[in-house]
Amino acid sequence: MTQQLNGHDLLREEPETPTLTTLPSEIVALRDLVRSWVRERVAPAVRRLDAADAADFDWDLVREGHDLGLTRLVVPQQFGGAGHGIFGVAVALEELAAVDAGLALAFGATMLGQAPVLLSGDPRLQARFLPLFSGDDPVLACNAITEDLAGCDLLIPENAGLAQDVMSAHRDGDHYVLNGSKRFITNGKVATYATVFANMEGHPGATGLTCFVVMLESPGVTLGEVADKMGYRSCLGTELHFAGVRVPVDNVVGGEGDGVHVNIQQMNMARAAVAAISTGVARGALDQAVAWAGDRVQGGVPLRQHQFTARKLAEMAAKVEAARGLYLKAAYLADNEIPAPAFEPAVAKLFADRIAIEVATEAMGLMGARGYLRDHGMEKRLRDALGARIYEGTPEVLALAITESLYTDDDDF
Amino acid sequence: MSAFTSRDQAAAVFTQLFEILLEDDAFAATVRSQRLSVLFVHSSPDLTVFVDADGVRVDAAPHAPVLSIKMSCDDADALWAGRLLLPVALATRRIRVKGRVSQVLEFVPLLQPAFDRYPAIAASAGVTTAA
Repeated sequence: MTQQLNGHDLLREEPETPTLTTLPSEIVALRDLVRSWVRERVAPAVRRLDAADAADFDWDLVREGHDLGLTRLVVPQQFGGAGHGIFGVAVALEELAAVDAGLALAFGATMLGQAPVLLSGDPRLQARFLPLFSGDDPVLACNAITEDLAGCDLLIPENAGLAQDVMSAHRDGDHYVLNGSKRFITNGKVATYATVFANMEGHPGATGLTCFVVMLESPGVTLGEVADKMGYRSCLGTELHFAGVRVPVDNVVGGEGDGVHVNIQQMNMARAAVAAISTGVARGALDQAVAWAGDRVQGGVPLRQHQFTARKLAEMAAKVEAARGLYLKAAYLADNEIPAPAFEPAVAKLFADRIAIEVATEAMGLMGARGYLRDHGMEKRLRDALGARIYEGTPEVLALAITESLYTDDDDF
Repeated sequence: MSAFTSRDQAAAVFTQLFEILLEDDAFAATVRSQRLSVLFVHSSPDLTVFVDADGVRVDAAPHAPVLSIKMSCDDADALWAGRLLLPVALATRRIRVKGRVSQVLEFVPLLQPAFDRYPAIAASAGVTTAA
């Protein structure tokens, strides 16, 4: 297993182009490697991770994932990473989420914290922060945008002027000084750095939103409560407090006031990956339901031979296939267009989030009383499925993005 | 008012700009080693500029480019003159790029000589709004 876990297999040399029916060979290798690891190492731990205290975090599993390359999938090879795009990340996250969505999100949130540094196109910023993920010890990152009074107001540009009490930044010599708090920050408690969005003083609402890379060991940064969540319990959502935190000018991503643009690009990339997580949750539920319906005998035959059960399984399978097709297309486009398109990732996430709930609900019902028991794990899949509707765009926010695209001629290039 | 008074003026400025870029050792080496080709698709006035190791061609693309970059001539002028920041231009879709993102991210830093030289090239060609 150790040799299999060696990151060399993950390195992307000369990438092939996916077709409608095939994945490139290096993506198949990545998928199989992650699938094998999660089945062998993560699956036995899922019940324990789910039942653990809200603030517990399994660094041992993260270390194994790090050895596999999961903390640096999108980091370019020149910085010691695997050099994959969102396509590779998404395929890996489906495999993780099919067993444990929380662990998938811990690695996914790290990619989210890497994305602004990557997208900045700033070689100095990249050279300072991206090699952090290629050392012997696991390093995680996070992206800090959500606040107590501002969630969607920081995600929807038209709302920026209306945002209230947004974390502030002001220039002081060759530093910026940050003051304020962030909430529900995945990996906040365990990350080495955060990409933090703060509003430049003097700009109303969030109209001066600016992205900073902040080392979380910096003086003035304190960690608040870990959220006691319904699902996704193996990753931690945390409050982060910033009191007079001094950040070097060189840590600004893009430029002063460009945070909204950084965030839009980052979101469009991330939504394909989150769609893959929801697809993974749905697939995990489907796999478990298929196994159950194949073994469980009622009326003298396995459940799957009952026409009504067969219809349910078929519908569930069709939904998972469709969700996978949508996220693969969105991820491919996100890897091949700048800016990443808004439409396809939003469609993929909207659909995958919905069908994950539908498939997990059907699968739970199909298992009867056992589906409702913690022992069998199906109820956990349903709790996880509900979570993805909240982060990286609720259905309502996604609908705005999708509908805007429907009215925008975007096919001229 | 448009930065360029004619299509010929824009073609001359961008041809000179990319010919200078091809003289830069780092840019030329990357273009050769990665078989990189870039098609700049400009509008208002409309023209395309194809750049690869063999040179610069206006309105002629000998093969499909590795990267395609679309922007108006005014935005191109603002970009190369330093008035339009690339991250902002990309996020607001004033500039759009097709091609592998990882390759684009490697490519962008190599463009620095073009940023350095553009103001002088534009000024000598009579481009009106270049800073």
